[in-house]
Amino acid sequence: MITPEEIRLAEETLAFALASGADSVRITLNKSLQDLVAMRDGALDKVTHSLDRSLQLTLFADGRFGSFSINRLEKKALEEFTLDALATLRLLAPDPLRSLPAPERTAKDAVTGLEAGLFDPAYADMDASARLDLARRSTIWARKASLEDGFTIISEEEEYSDSISDSLLIDSNGTRCRHTDTSFEISCEVTVQDPSGARFSGFWWDSRPFLKDLALEDCALTAARRAAAAIGPVRCDGGLMSIVVETGTAAKLVAPILNALGGFAIQQKNSFLDGSLGKKIFGDNVTIFDKPRSIGRNGSKFFDSEGVATAETPVIENGVVKEYFLSTWIAAKLGMSPTIEDCTRACVAPTGGCRDCDEILRSVGEGILVTGFNGGNYNSSTGEYSYGIEGFLFKDGRKVHPVREMLITGDLVTLWNNLTHAGSDARPCSTKSIPTLAFRNVNISG
Amino acid sequence: MIKTKAAYLNLFGVTEEILERLVAEGISRGGDYSDLFFENTSFINLLLRDGEVASGGRHVDYGVGIRVLKGDKTGYAYSETTELSDMLSAARAASAIAEGSASSFPYEGCRARKYFPGEPNPAADRYPLLSESTEGLVRFMKAIEKGIFACEQRTVKVMVSLSFEKDDVLLYNSCRELKYDTRPMATVAITAIFAQDGKMENNTFSRSRRMGTEMFSDALIEEAIAGTVRGLDERFDAKRPKGGKMSVVMGAGASGILLHEAMGHAFEADFARKGQSIFTGRLGQKVCPSGITIVDDGTLKGNRGSLNFDDEGVPGQRTCMVEDGVLTSFLHDRISARHFGVAPTGNGRRESFRHIPIPRMRSTYMESGDADPKSLVAEVKKGIFVDTFSNGQVKIGEGDFTFYVKSGFLIEDGRLTAPIKDVNIIGNGPETLSEIVGVGNDLIIDEGAWTCGKEQLAPVTCGIPTVLIKSLTVGGE
Repeated sequence: MITPEEIRLAEETLAFALASGADSVRITLNKSLQDLVAMRDGALDKVTHSLDRSLQLTLFADGRFGSFSINRLEKKALEEFTLDALATLRLLAPDPLRSLPAPERTAKDAVTGLEAGLFDPAYADMDASARLDLARRSTIWARKASLEDGFTIISEEEEYSDSISDSLLIDSNGTRCRHTDTSFEISCEVTVQDPSGARFSGFWWDSRPFLKDLALEDCALTAARRAAAAIGPVRCDGGLMSIVVETGTAAKLVAPILNALGGFAIQQKNSFLDGSLGKKIFGDNVTIFDKPRSIGRNGSKFFDSEGVATAETPVIENGVVKEYFLSTWIAAKLGMSPTIEDCTRACVAPTGGCRDCDEILRSVGEGILVTGFNGGNYNSSTGEYSYGIEGFLFKDGRKVHPVREMLITGDLVTLWNNLTHAGSDARPCSTKSIPTLAFRNVNISG
Repeated sequence: MIKTKAAYLNLFGVTEEILERLVAEGISRGGDYSDLFFENTSFINLLLRDGEVASGGRHVDYGVGIRVLKGDKTGYAYSETTELSDMLSAARAASAIAEGSASSFPYEGCRARKYFPGEPNPAADRYPLLSESTEGLVRFMKAIEKGIFACEQRTVKVMVSLSFEKDDVLLYNSCRELKYDTRPMATVAITAIFAQDGKMENNTFSRSRRMGTEMFSDALIEEAIAGTVRGLDERFDAKRPKGGKMSVVMGAGASGILLHEAMGHAFEADFARKGQSIFTGRLGQKVCPSGITIVDDGTLKGNRGSLNFDDEGVPGQRTCMVEDGVLTSFLHDRISARHFGVAPTGNGRRESFRHIPIPRMRSTYMESGDADPKSLVAEVKKGIFVDTFSNGQVKIGEGDFTFYVKSGFLIEDGRLTAPIKDVNIIGNGPETLSEIVGVGNDLIIDEGAWTCGKEQLAPVTCGIPTVLIKSLTVGGE
């Protein structure tokens, strides 16, 4: 998708920056094309066509470092911008720890961009009428009366989109990496009204690198079912309870752990997992891997934003912290060896002997099934969290009724030490592989 | 600082004839309306970390978005160049929305003018841009860091992030309305880490205004230092309250997040147009107690949410959403205004030329009441007082909202007692509105770097006087 002319422009800009006084240079050229068709209440509502290009210029000059970007990909504009960028560097203090990654750490096997197996040749066949047809096939508006059972469907919104993204990274050490992927996505939000006039919404989506795998027809129906299931929520008494967090939602509880292992937070002493490397922090049943090279899986990528090669790595293994995410610079500041800038594709390993949400509900017996979070946050220094939750009270392994206005509160290390189950049902549409999770003794306010 | 029309036309390499040709192409397949949004954004950012301003950057984003409307339907495309052939191609892509559609009635650009007559640009200049100089910025950042370390011995790390953005925009539409503007935004944000007896805590502070780099003044240095170390003793001592339903006194200022989440989003007219908002069909009805007035305002000078005109060219204005307890207006873009047969309210906003404008808040606040703020705390036997927040969220259909409290106090027998921190609060918008039992006389509009994330990012602010709410669900141990 990136044209030979655009590649030449990137190479010329790199050479121009070096000739103009930069000591070393990295250029990342990103290009993406997205088409979207939105339906509302069974009729076409919106079409958009988006073509984006940007050139990111990372400069190292006179011991100084700066990061710059521009979307005007014309030779004259790029040269002027490069000179402005070098002038801006003079505002900054020298930082001797800034450098490009060592050439031996950079990816050598991302040459064509297709190595991650995320490009669907069928993308080339997509046109306006094909997209409209897919969007129309996904809607349930025409048959909504057959679905209404004690409620009315008052709004149905679908978005079908497809895109292609292409990214090329080159640097003055000779690094050259490319990543190309296609994506096909469907999302739907359905709003229903109960006889009292109360409204409830349900959302569902799917996203795949290959069109043939997209679960198009199920999307709106699932959203409608989720909206209908939310009718009649009841406030529950709080207390210490078990929670089961369904796949697709559970990533919210994994992200703070990964953020706390990020070099940026560690170096700034703003991490509740500072000092945890090599230590057993969590229970034996907590294992999280980074699996960035799972060919054909959403989220896979062979290199990070520095061009460093990714690798399959344990992040937490049997409760022991195995990895901090350290860029070249952060590692130098901490006096440690660099790893990778960020967790590319987190995967939580199964535990507890159950495959999916239904099995876990039966195993846990009683508690709250969390199907979505409503706001909340956590303290990055201490790990204390408080999140709004929505979902269902379950007893004897079965859903009893939806709940409303409930909160979970605690600290993240304790929460993960109370992990009882992790299924093997992670949805392939996510860029992280996070299955249904269950935790015991969670403080719930209602 | 608004430049001449010629300067903007020259910046984007277009003439008025080209603008006319592009909107004509947009509606050539039967569209009711077409508009163009040219944008050139230049952005500089600097980061102080570990005592030095050793990283930063400069960014340029340039392009034009072309929109075609057919009834309520939207076609949209953009080009990152302003070559005529590229822009015509984008206009043709957007025009496809009208194909095969039944005829509709046209948009009336002049409808807005009936309410806000005048020249292409409104007389107001709500964000004079006095300085674009980068001189002194490093000194400013270092002074903040030095001041925090000097006044608070528990300081471990200080990070100061500073940015200055200048956004040149030019708009033209098929009603032949031409608008142009330059919108500045200066922002400073500080995160500091503190240690006490082996425990770590963090505090944050931010200021953001539509003005030039003159914002980075000595006075702001003092304000930033004081704001970053404020309440630190309490933060180290703070505990989680016992969770459950209780009375909540929202302190003046940042508690305006309550209005943004609990009511403001549900008043955005795209949700009402689609029947999704919990306030759909309630215009003219009493939605909260008498005496309460809630406003969304785009006219406050230098405010982060203010606009001379919105991203559809509608003049910035002050929109009263609730007046004396009665729902009087939703927040409209051109589509919803046409749908409901009212004038647009200047709330059509977008993140950039890459995005479609949709109804968004600007500066949302509640007018002062007449209660003494101390008397509101004194009324509460058992509850909490909250005044520092980080984020919030709402479910439009259900009206359930949450916001995250970074710090506050328990209220016991009418007095502030033990400090609390890090709890989420959850409630239902209409129920919460009806449970406001006291409004203080001390409105403050918070000028932190609030950013709303509804589909796209948009700078906003919020404000509120001290308010007593009879019952909300509070997270806790």
